[in-house]
This record gives sequence, C-alpha cells and structure tokens, in this order.
Amino acid sequence: MNAKLGRTAASFLTLALFAAPAAAQSKAWDILREIVLVPGVSGHEGPVSYFIQGRLPAGLKAERDGMNNVWFTVGSGKPHLLFVAHTDELGWIVGGITPSGRVRVKPGGGILPQTVEARPVHIHSAKGIVAGIVSPRPGYDERQPPEDVSDTPFTAESFEIYLGVGTEAEARALGVAEGDPVTAKKTLTDFGPGLMATRAVDDRAGCAALLDAALRLKPELVKGKTITFAWDVQEETGLFGAAELAKTLKPDYVFAIDTFVSTDSPLESRRLAYLPVGKGAVLRAIDSSNITPKTEILKVAAIAKRRGIPIQIGNSRGGNDGSVFLAGGAVDIPLSWPGSYAHSLIEKIDRRDLEALTDLILALVSDWK
Amino acid sequence: MAQRIAKIAGIVALTTFLVSAVAGAADLKGLTKELFAVPSTTGNEDALAAKIRGLLPKGLAVETDGLGTVAVRISGAAGPTLLIAALDGYGHMVSGITPEGYLTLDRPVAAPHVRFDAFLLGQPVIVSTAKGPVAGVISQPALHLLTPERRRTLVDGFSLENAFVDIGVRSEKEARAKGVEILDAVTYPAVLTELAGDQWAGPDLGLKAVAAALVSVVGDLAGRGAGEETVVAWAAQTKFAARGRGARPAVGAVRARSKWQPRRAVAVGLIAAGKGDGFPFPGGGPVLIQSKDTATPLRQAFEKAAAAAGIPLQYMTAADSSLALPFAAPPGEVITLALPVRFLNTPSEVVEAKDLQALRDLLGRFLEPGGAK
Repeated sequence: MNAKLGRTAASFLTLALFAAPAAAQSKAWDILREIVLVPGVSGHEGPVSYFIQGRLPAGLKAERDGMNNVWFTVGSGKPHLLFVAHTDELGWIVGGITPSGRVRVKPGGGILPQTVEARPVHIHSAKGIVAGIVSPRPGYDERQPPEDVSDTPFTAESFEIYLGVGTEAEARALGVAEGDPVTAKKTLTDFGPGLMATRAVDDRAGCAALLDAALRLKPELVKGKTITFAWDVQEETGLFGAAELAKTLKPDYVFAIDTFVSTDSPLESRRLAYLPVGKGAVLRAIDSSNITPKTEILKVAAIAKRRGIPIQIGNSRGGNDGSVFLAGGAVDIPLSWPGSYAHSLIEKIDRRDLEALTDLILALVSDWK
Repeated sequence: MAQRIAKIAGIVALTTFLVSAVAGAADLKGLTKELFAVPSTTGNEDALAAKIRGLLPKGLAVETDGLGTVAVRISGAAGPTLLIAALDGYGHMVSGITPEGYLTLDRPVAAPHVRFDAFLLGQPVIVSTAKGPVAGVISQPALHLLTPERRRTLVDGFSLENAFVDIGVRSEKEARAKGVEILDAVTYPAVLTELAGDQWAGPDLGLKAVAAALVSVVGDLAGRGAGEETVVAWAAQTKFAARGRGARPAVGAVRARSKWQPRRAVAVGLIAAGKGDGFPFPGGGPVLIQSKDTATPLRQAFEKAAAAAGIPLQYMTAADSSLALPFAAPPGEVITLALPVRFLNTPSEVVEAKDLQALRDLLGRFLEPGGAK
C-alpha cells in the first residue's frame, strides 16, 4: 500500500515537473485578451499579422507575403512540422451607402445576423473606426408578429447600419467607403478568472497559443527537425491563405490550430462533439475537411500523457487549414480547445485549455518523431 | 462710457450664458452616463433609485411611496405640479437555475414588442445579484451544427423557452455561490456607443437620459424654488399595468397620484422616433403628446416656455400612456413630454444630445418662476 502511494506520489511529481514550468511561463491568455480585440476581417488581416510579427522574438526571421500570411521556420531535417493558425475573423464588408447615409454590407458574414440586429458595429475606415448600429428590422416593435414574418428574413443582404447621419455625403465625410471591413463591437465577458467569452476567439486563441509557443520556443527543443509556425489569412472565406502557403511549404505534418466546435451548451445535442470547456486541449480527430489517421492520434495522445497535458479527442464539424496540405502529402492533425458557441459574439474559452494547447504545441515540437 | 459698460455687461452676460449652457450640457451628459451604468427593471429599481438619491442636492428631503419611487419637492406657490418619469426599464429576471447551473428567464412585465425577447440570442448579459454583478451570456447554437430544423426552432423561433444564461458554472450550487437567486434582474451590459452627430446608443438609454434630465432640473431649481410647488418623481413599476377593465394605468403612476395628489401632471417619457411619416423625428426637439389636440393651459405653458427659450417642439396626438393615464381624469390635467428615441426598446436605443438638452431646458424653463403660468 505504502509502495503504491509512493509510486503515485512520484508520478504526480513527475507530471508536475513537466507541466508546471510550462504553465507558469505561458502568456497565451494575456496575448489572447489583447489580440482578440484587434480587427481582422477576412482579407483585411493586416493589423493582426503586424501584431504577431511585432511580438515575435527578435532572433526569429519571420517572413510575410502579399496576402499578410506571416511565418518563420527554424531547424532543419525531417520531419517538417507546420503549425498554423488563422488571423482572420468573421465580419462584413461595406457594399454601399444609401442616399440616407445608411451603410449596406455585402452578403456573407458567417455570424447569425439576428445576433447583431440593433447592435453596435465598427466600420474600420481609412479615417479610423466609425461606430454604427445595425438597424432593427422594420416592424420590430409591433405588438403582434406581422403576418408575413416568414417572408422577411433578417440577413446581411437586408440589414442597414445607422451611423448617426442623414445623407450619403455625411457618411462618406466620416471616412466610410465601399470595401471597408465591419466587425461587431467586441466586449469581453469575464465569467471569472480564466474563463471568458467574446467575438473572434476563433481563431485568435489559435494565434495566441502559437505566438506564446513561439515566445517559449527553445532552439534545443527542435533537434534535427524543421519547424514552421505560420499565421495565415482568409481561412473563414475558403482557406485561401493556407492555399498560398501550400505553394511553397511542403510539411510532413501540419497541425492546424483552430476551434473545436463543442456541444458543451444547453442548446446542443451531446450526440457528438461533447468535449467540455475547461477539460483540456483537443485533438480534432475528424471534422468536415479531414480525418486524422488513428496512428497519429495515438502518437499525440502518448506525448500528451507523458507530459501530463490534459487533452480530449473528438469529432465535430467545420474545416481546417491543414486540409489544404493533404494533397502535398502532409498528415493533418488539427489541435484545438473546446469552444462553446462557435461563430458568435460570445465564443467561450477557458484559460486552462488554452495553456494546455500551448504546452501541447511545445511538446510536439520537442517529442514528435 | 455708460454704453461701453452696457456692452461689456452684455458680453459678460452672453459669455456667462454660453459657459453655463456648455457646462449644463456637459453636466447632463455626465449624469446620463452615471445613470446609464446602473441597471433597473420593473421590481428591481433599487440600485437606480439609490443612485438618483445620491445625485440629488443634499438639502432636499427625499420622499418615497413604498413601491420604490423616489421623489423630491421643490417649493413654490400652490400646487403641486407633478413631474413623473419612469425609474424602471423593460428587462428580464432569473426564473430558475438548472442542475447544470444555467439560468432560465422570465419577464416581470409584458414585453413592449414582439421581438423583445429575440434580441437576447447570443448576447452578453449582467445578472444583478445581492453580491454584485455576475457576467453571463445567453446561449446560442453553434453555427456549424445548425440544421434547418434547429435554425427554425432555436434561431428564428427563439423565445424565453430556449433562453439559458451561461454564467460559467457547472451546477446550481456554484450558481448560488456566485450570489444568483430567483428574481435577480438580467440586463444587457451598459455599453455606450457614440455615433456621429452627438448621438449615443445603448440599452435603456432613453430611460436613463430622461431620468438624468430630471436630476439636472432639480439640481438647478433646488436652491431657488419653482414657480409652483413641484414634486419631481422617478416612479417605480411604471411598466406594470394595474389590473382591471379598459385602459390600464401603470401601477407606479397610480400610486404617485394617490400619494402626491397633484393639481396637474407632466409625464416625461419616451417616444419612438425616426420611423417615417407620422412619427416624430430625432433631432426635432421634445414631443408634446396629448390625447386630444386642444390648447390646454399646460400645453400653452409649454409652448410659451419653448418659444421663450427657442426650443423646437414636436406634436403628437395619441392615447394617454399608462404613465399619464391616472392623471387624465378631470379636474386634473396631464400632458406627456417625450424624448424622441430611435430604435426604442432595443439593445441600442439612440438618443440625440440636442433633444435631451432641449427636454431638460424646456422642463427647467417651464418650472422656473413665471414659466408655468
């Protein structure tokens, strides 16, 4: 009995020795809270990629292409591991301005339009941020539902943004122009220390985890491998940034760092994807774009176990940037955190999951064969 | 020489007026921001009432009515005139806690419109508990997992039946440990958005702006008195209608009438604006609302005060609101003076600063000695 207790204690000590220093050093949470507020609608990720590039260690030689993809490579030899997170966020693009000074946006967005109805948005114009309110649908204030309610869907194509002006000229004088990106006005909901919800956790959490890992990356960890960290663009609109990277980068393994759409929510069926928030990083084994081979899943799980990093394995929906590299011969192993309320204004994340994800990235850099 | 002195005196007076007007505007904005930060829904008005009490001049005795209404009396000739505004906004409250720690919701009063509850979907909220504010979000389905059927029921058909507040806990016990109890108010966070044209937007902004205007007026008149004795009341439970047949007055207004028995009343409220023909327009000044388009003494007094101060007025004929209704029976006299609000009763009510300032100045001019005659 005593021997058993002693063995258990030793195991815990070993786990603590591996896990504790990494967790203590992680700045991923603070990075996330900052980077999540930086605007970067698909095609307009410049501010986010500059944020990242500006914080990379001086010794790392980062590259940047015309699309605003940013990456760096360290080490040499095989295998070549690519870790990639996307910098873009969901939002809209100004499509036009009405004679009465209301802004219309182009179709799309990726967010339920109902959730921004009568809500503030920011238009990122050449002159700076212009605040607006998405006008509520006509007849919103009726006492009874209009009879033709089913014929009047509230969509991005139909909504208008009120700026506080009455003419097109006044709107343009504020700096608003066609092509300007539009984001929902972001607020951070802090449930408590280390648990929050906000817009654009997808995929700024991935960006923050990767940046934190880059800041903690020690040359001796790489040992005979090639490691590339990349922050790519335009994932939400069709994996375009990854496709551009795939023209030049030919990794053996790609670890896409992106949201795991969790059903940890009172409104979801727990039939699939029930990986609870706060229970560790995620290996997104199967999604809409990729099936990770079982052998690789077991390898990741073994490394995580050895390092005492909590991970969960599950399947969900959605695509990931790594799938673009499949044709080039790479194995796609998406890594995540369990994210409730994906593609909303209230994407929820737990600090422990984010830090476990960062630790997992560093463990894979070090231990992957 | 005398002419020069008169000119200088004129310049000084004009400068003083301008400085005072600018200071007044800044003061009103500051007051509005202070009140905006305090949640208040029907039956949960205590925090806003306390805030208003704290902002009132120290020498004034605060009167209450047992429902939560706060009022002050400004001395003057026979009266009283009652200025009554709402202390409560529309909102939600905790109606239950699930075993998993999610909060269910109800409303203390009927919704002001058909989409009122639907605005909750996927939004941050604040639960006002005895231990302080608790942050939460209203759950929404993940877009990736949304089938057409689920979209129909959970998004297009969103209602309080599927509204759950996630406060980041895993059990009822943890929720209660945060201080959450049944009946706690649930409101949107007080996030103010500043638009072009000196317009502001935010949840319940109209209510708070009107309440601030009354605080400002009281602060101005407290030292010198009003033309007629005036009770200024921020009334609780104005969104709650008294039971009975026919038109239903607000409980808070009924209570105010029996408590202060005013000779005449001015209901200071909100009116939906910017909706096109037939509606007031934002930026056009305060709106005088009467049940019949007649030149009553109250209306004439306001018109005179507005003309003297160069304040534009808008007019509307509509049935007396539940706030004005208790005062409509003869021999009493009532008029409603309303602040035009764009997107009324949404999470982003838009108020124009110049309308708010005009409302405040008009009330001040109406109440000052000679103004209400």
